[in-house]
Amino acid sequence: MVDSVLTFFTAMENQGASIVKDTPHFDLETYISNYRGRTRFDRLSLIGRSCVPLCVDALKAAVAEAKRNRDTQRYREAVECLRMAAPSDPESNVDHDWIIKTEQANVAETNRLISELKGYKNNMIKESIRMGNEDLGKHFESTGDLNGAAETYAKMRADVSTPKQLVDVGKHLVRVAMQRREWGMVLANLSKMGGHQLSAEDEQALQPYLKIIQGIAFLGQERYSEAALSFLAADPTPPASGYHDIVSQNDVAIFGALLAMATMDRRELQARVLENKSFRTFLELESHLRRAIAGFITGRYSATIKILETYRPDYMLDVYLQKHVPRLYEEIRSKCIVQYLIPFSAVKLATMEREFMYRADEQTMEEELVNMVKNGTVEARIDTIDKLVITPTQDDRARMQMEALEAAQDYERQAVERLRRMGLAAADLELKNPRKSTGKAVDSGRGLGGLASDNVTFPEESPFV
Amino acid sequence: MDQCASVLLAFPPATWGEAATPSSDDDDEISYHQAVRQHAQNVDKLIKDGGVLLTPGFAQQLLAVVHPGRHSISYLALLQAVLLLDSSSSSSSRDDGLLANITVFLMTFDARQIRYAGASLSSLLDAVANGGIFPASVAVDLITTCLSRLDPTGSMLTSHHLTLATLAYETDNIEPALPVLERTVVFYPGIKGQPEPSYPCSLSLPPSAYITIESGLTGRLTSTMVLQYDFLCGLCFIQRRSWRQALDALERVMSYPTKDNNSAATTTTTCSKIMTEAHNKWVLVSLLATGRTPPAFPPTTGYGPRKTYAMLGKVYYTVAQAFEQGSAEVLKNEVLQIGQRVFDEEQNGGLLKLVMSHFQRWQILNLREIYTKISLEQLRTETESAEKGGPLDTVEEVEALVREMIEDGMLNAVIEKPADKPAHLVYLGAGDETMTEEEFRQEMMETARRMKELEPLVKATNERLASNKDYLKAVIREQKREKMGVQDMSVDFEAQIEDEDLMGGIMASD
Repeated sequence: MVDSVLTFFTAMENQGASIVKDTPHFDLETYISNYRGRTRFDRLSLIGRSCVPLCVDALKAAVAEAKRNRDTQRYREAVECLRMAAPSDPESNVDHDWIIKTEQANVAETNRLISELKGYKNNMIKESIRMGNEDLGKHFESTGDLNGAAETYAKMRADVSTPKQLVDVGKHLVRVAMQRREWGMVLANLSKMGGHQLSAEDEQALQPYLKIIQGIAFLGQERYSEAALSFLAADPTPPASGYHDIVSQNDVAIFGALLAMATMDRRELQARVLENKSFRTFLELESHLRRAIAGFITGRYSATIKILETYRPDYMLDVYLQKHVPRLYEEIRSKCIVQYLIPFSAVKLATMEREFMYRADEQTMEEELVNMVKNGTVEARIDTIDKLVITPTQDDRARMQMEALEAAQDYERQAVERLRRMGLAAADLELKNPRKSTGKAVDSGRGLGGLASDNVTFPEESPFV
Repeated sequence: MDQCASVLLAFPPATWGEAATPSSDDDDEISYHQAVRQHAQNVDKLIKDGGVLLTPGFAQQLLAVVHPGRHSISYLALLQAVLLLDSSSSSSSRDDGLLANITVFLMTFDARQIRYAGASLSSLLDAVANGGIFPASVAVDLITTCLSRLDPTGSMLTSHHLTLATLAYETDNIEPALPVLERTVVFYPGIKGQPEPSYPCSLSLPPSAYITIESGLTGRLTSTMVLQYDFLCGLCFIQRRSWRQALDALERVMSYPTKDNNSAATTTTTCSKIMTEAHNKWVLVSLLATGRTPPAFPPTTGYGPRKTYAMLGKVYYTVAQAFEQGSAEVLKNEVLQIGQRVFDEEQNGGLLKLVMSHFQRWQILNLREIYTKISLEQLRTETESAEKGGPLDTVEEVEALVREMIEDGMLNAVIEKPADKPAHLVYLGAGDETMTEEEFRQEMMETARRMKELEPLVKATNERLASNKDYLKAVIREQKREKMGVQDMSVDFEAQIEDEDLMGGIMASD
């Protein structure tokens, strides 16, 4: 059994998936109970395909989840994975009867809904047409036909009669676009949802939805700092049921905190995250992250990094965050190192090695610093003999002098160049193309353009060069 | 002989005294001009119909009497006569005295007087450059001195400049030619529609006014020749490893103005072969000078040339990219595969070799951005030799390379070998040391002074442009239009006032 899990993950790794070897802190059942709808399968399947300790459990749960719904394709995928990871498990056998039965039922249901919709259209009752479209869209979505779902949901827009219905259309479209990872579409649909005259209550319920989904879309587009601001602006008072088909409140806290740490400086973090009353409600759910941020602000970088590294497996198992974890961690870590170096003019490498001992990869502190200096993240010099990191002092006056001299010289060069060009123009010496040929005036001879005739060969290159 | 001597010594008149100029009156220039022109004509006549001068030995005797600095025109004429005899007699026995005479003359002639004998001076210079009278090193030196004396500002390009540059480069006598090659050229002969100066002797004239094709002091130049001159300057500076100056010279060639400049609509891309060659060298030189690909073309580069450069310089950019990315193996392979043949064809083989040998140097130099001290062993593993396509074999080789760099002044560092630690390199001063206020002030003053020096050039250009026929025509037309325009405006304005008055009347009647 262990061998089969190993082969499964080798195959997964070859496909370019991220593999998590450590056990995460959450309990799978509690974790998944936070979500509703199709995202449950997505999450279970991702955990099954990425997390070594939870693999079989998660895949089994995924198979069960798929069987509860009507998407046969998903079921096949999940069983396929499970068969590779645990071939001896009874659940790894494909239930062909179920597949055939479900597929038949799906076709029948599609036909029924389409004929119903036709009927509504003949009667020209707007409300019925809208609802007919909605039902059909939901059906398509649940069977996994996301293209059809998006098309059908979009048709609802024509028959909308209240702002609330308009918001619902938007939510459907956003949900489908999220599943297809079309972040541009998500943002476009979100922007269409704002600005309608909703009741104050509805408006308030919608606010976190808009902000959170926008944050995820920005995250998907790697616009980290915009994403951070979106998450931080979410209102925690409305219940999570407004968005639990996509994310949980814990996720919001994690996304917001990690993104903020990666993009903001210490003062901003203090003001926008720790002193942010509404976001604090989210943050309480993940109090270790609050400690990590506090550690970063107060300069206890090693504590911060330790917390983050312990929770890395958890974050690596999130559908939206997985791809971005290494980069966000990298950013946070290098920010810590930069901040750490600021007050010192020289630090022993050994001291830094101790301070930043928690790391994901194998490189030494020296290698890491060399890379950071190379790509300009930190301004420092390394003394490999006495094992020191030296931070050079910025000399503004020297820079000012350099810039002044450069500006003066540049001015001089430009002045001369202009005089020269005027002189050339006056003497009618500009390079002309006397042949008036169109197209490239490049020929194979020693001369190009019109100069082939009066070209003089150059002396052989001298042996000195 | 006496008659000849009296003609030759007639200018400057003895009454003018030592300074060889008339007393400082207002008509100073007029009388000087008249006298010197008359004298030049007389001397010319003397040469043309004087069979006496062409008697062997005669002119030589006169040379002893005539002072080269004071009677420059006469002296020049005698030298010409002697040279003429010399070449026709085909006697190979050359008189050392003659060489001395030419040398003295070129070093001491009166630059004001000689403006009236331009053609003769030009033919003397040509003789010096081509005739094999002098060894090349002396010839370069003499022509340089002569050109600097003729035009102390050095801002005017003449046909002799090109001769000089070619001679200096071909014979590898660049050093003595530097005083001319380093000057900033802004004037070129053959300016259209420039009014002839009434008195070429005037000392306030810019060089472009008295060094003209008509005066004989320069021949006519074509755009190719101008390009060649700057290109040769670039080659000379490359030879001297003076990268910054070489880049400047090559950039002058690259950004040479073309007529269909900046017009994206036309499909013609006028570009000279010299320009593309300059561009290719420019890429390599900037690798040597700065360690990276040049960031952008000079801003004045024309639209057509830009396209051509990118197209014809592809190989060079590939090399530059490999150089910058820091993989010796890639660089070596690139050069081996596609490069060598192309580079040899374009005579850049030597330059390329230099680029290859500088690859590791730049790597070592760039490490100062990361390390303050680094052991030689680490230096060996972290940097690669492009010639070898990998790291050097021994620490000793690295040490030798580093020592070479330190001696060349490329690297500001020392090698330390303490007993208890491995041998290592210590980078000193990251390059941005502060100048003292005083040094800074002096640097700025120096720049300001150079800008001041440009002032007369600006003035000359401005005057020339202001007196240009087309410009004047345009100004007159503009003024006329303005007059018309003002009248039209006033009519409109009055009409409006009338309107207002009408309104006022109505209001009042209410």
